Amino acid sequence: MHRLIYIEEAVADHPRTKAICARFPRATKVYCKHYGEVFNRKGQNFRLQKQNPALILAHKHKNHVLNAPDGYGIGGQRNYYFSHMLNCLYDCRYCFLQGMYRSANYVIFVNYEDFQQAIVDTAREHPDEALWFFSGYDCDSLAYEPVTNFTDEFLPTFSQLPNANLELRTKSLQIRTLLNTEPFDNCIVAYSFTPAALSQALEHGVPSVEKRIEAMVKLQQHGWRLGLRFDPMIYQEGFEKDYQQLFEQLFSRLPAESIHSVSLGTLRTPKAFHQNMVNLYPEEKLFAGRFDEQRGMITYAKELEEQMTHFCYDQLMQYIPQSLFFACTPPE
Amino acid sequence: MINIITALQCEARPLIDHYRLRGNAKQSAFRCYQNDELRLVISGIGKLAAATATTYLASSDTQTSSGWLNPGIAGHADHAIGTPLLAHKLIDAASEQQWFPGIVIPAPCASETLTTIDRPEAEYRPGTMIDMEASGFYAAASRFQSCELIHSLKIISDNRHQGTDQITEKNTTALIHDNLSTIDAIIDELQTLAHQQNRIEKAPIESDAFMAQWHFTTYQQNQLRGLLRRWHALNLPAAPDPNNFSQLTTSKAVLKAIKEHLDRQPVHFYEANR
Repeated sequence: MHRLIYIEEAVADHPRTKAICARFPRATKVYCKHYGEVFNRKGQNFRLQKQNPALILAHKHKNHVLNAPDGYGIGGQRNYYFSHMLNCLYDCRYCFLQGMYRSANYVIFVNYEDFQQAIVDTAREHPDEALWFFSGYDCDSLAYEPVTNFTDEFLPTFSQLPNANLELRTKSLQIRTLLNTEPFDNCIVAYSFTPAALSQALEHGVPSVEKRIEAMVKLQQHGWRLGLRFDPMIYQEGFEKDYQQLFEQLFSRLPAESIHSVSLGTLRTPKAFHQNMVNLYPEEKLFAGRFDEQRGMITYAKELEEQMTHFCYDQLMQYIPQSLFFACTPPE
Repeated sequence: MINIITALQCEARPLIDHYRLRGNAKQSAFRCYQNDELRLVISGIGKLAAATATTYLASSDTQTSSGWLNPGIAGHADHAIGTPLLAHKLIDAASEQQWFPGIVIPAPCASETLTTIDRPEAEYRPGTMIDMEASGFYAAASRFQSCELIHSLKIISDNRHQGTDQITEKNTTALIHDNLSTIDAIIDELQTLAHQQNRIEKAPIESDAFMAQWHFTTYQQNQLRGLLRRWHALNLPAAPDPNNFSQLTTSKAVLKAIKEHLDRQPVHFYEANR
């Protein structure tokens, strides 16, 4: 429950603003000229704000669709992301958002139509190519669904664009809209996982591995194509057993035929973000192990990365064909 | 530590009594009162005075994170006399500059916009409290502290039905006194947040022992603190001890040795289950 909702004056009368505010009848509305007055200002503390994040409703003026970073994709040549929301309900200690933003407040850009038009325009620029659009880069795609109504609003856009693929990346159980929608081929619901013990230690507020698997089973039974994302892989001594158990747990419940793609990525954070994260959580064990710097990114030592990637790859190949596998690794 | 700025002695009096603050004779620029947890300064009227008093207090604050509170009285066209309201948006009327304190504490009262004016106005502005100090206080305090730890709490002293001409020192004191439980609750929450932050930012206890044995540059001191924090985060059985590195002659060698030691340590997230 939000105590305060900050609203850009320009979207005060937007129907989506009104619908979202109606969900929080007791919240006080505070008006601002631009969301940047409230969000990510100097002199804000992400960790403190995460204790009680406020909601900010704003208008996104440009850059509705952006090129996805290198290594963020599942085999497509043209990868884009779009963010109707900034920040996440969950509190995963490895998440780069806590290093990128000084504010943990949630920003929702209510002008969905501009995002949708940008997606349509981008798809039409490349009519003969398969494009990928990722919606879970700056937020979890589904976690705030009851408030954002995101899937209900965006699925129709993609269902009309055969060359535009949508990846909903999530750890959420908010799948009601998906279960009420006729599945279509160019939408993938991709769930992120770390082994259960690591999830308990590092993914605060995230549904358990078991609950996420149950959600995936329901989606699979309904006919949605599924993705599995092990990105980032997290190291602890004996990681082999952790990941082996996770893969067994997943593939014993999810038939390989239901899987569209599986990707693996190593823990990698831009150096400045990593330092911010360490400063915010100096007591965090995740940041206390050995890290190296590679091309401006903070990563595990190269040999450890290779060891983890090879191990997990070999394990995954016992369950899925090679064609479904994608490594999320930035180019050398 | 909580730093409190009030404009008037009559606003400060109930707080001085409630928290048993003692006058600090060493400080002469402003009237200052304090106990082990709270410091209070009486700034005088106006945003410049409030900003100066805030800076004055900040300059002698030894904590990296402290709470800041500006309690006082304010006018509002409609709110009832005696209503406590936390400021969720501050506006400086002269410059039109705005600030948005981050309200992460479970505040015990409602909130409202607060506009700071330079001189008394005949009419109430719609939808906002009016005072003469908050923008100065906030602008200054936000130079030293993150916005979640800085708040203005105002008690409504006048409105359309009961104007400023009826404000007296006596009823100002009574308004603050009657809202001590609200002020206390906010101070409690700010103290909790400030303690959390100070615990996070505190240098590891062993830092001084290392620095007594070798000379570390400022940059190296930061490195040392970072490494010692890593050491503690890993829950290693033995605490960092400079005597274990006594064969090393330079601070650079010590930092390298600690880093190499830490890099070799296994990481376990759930020792209890293993």
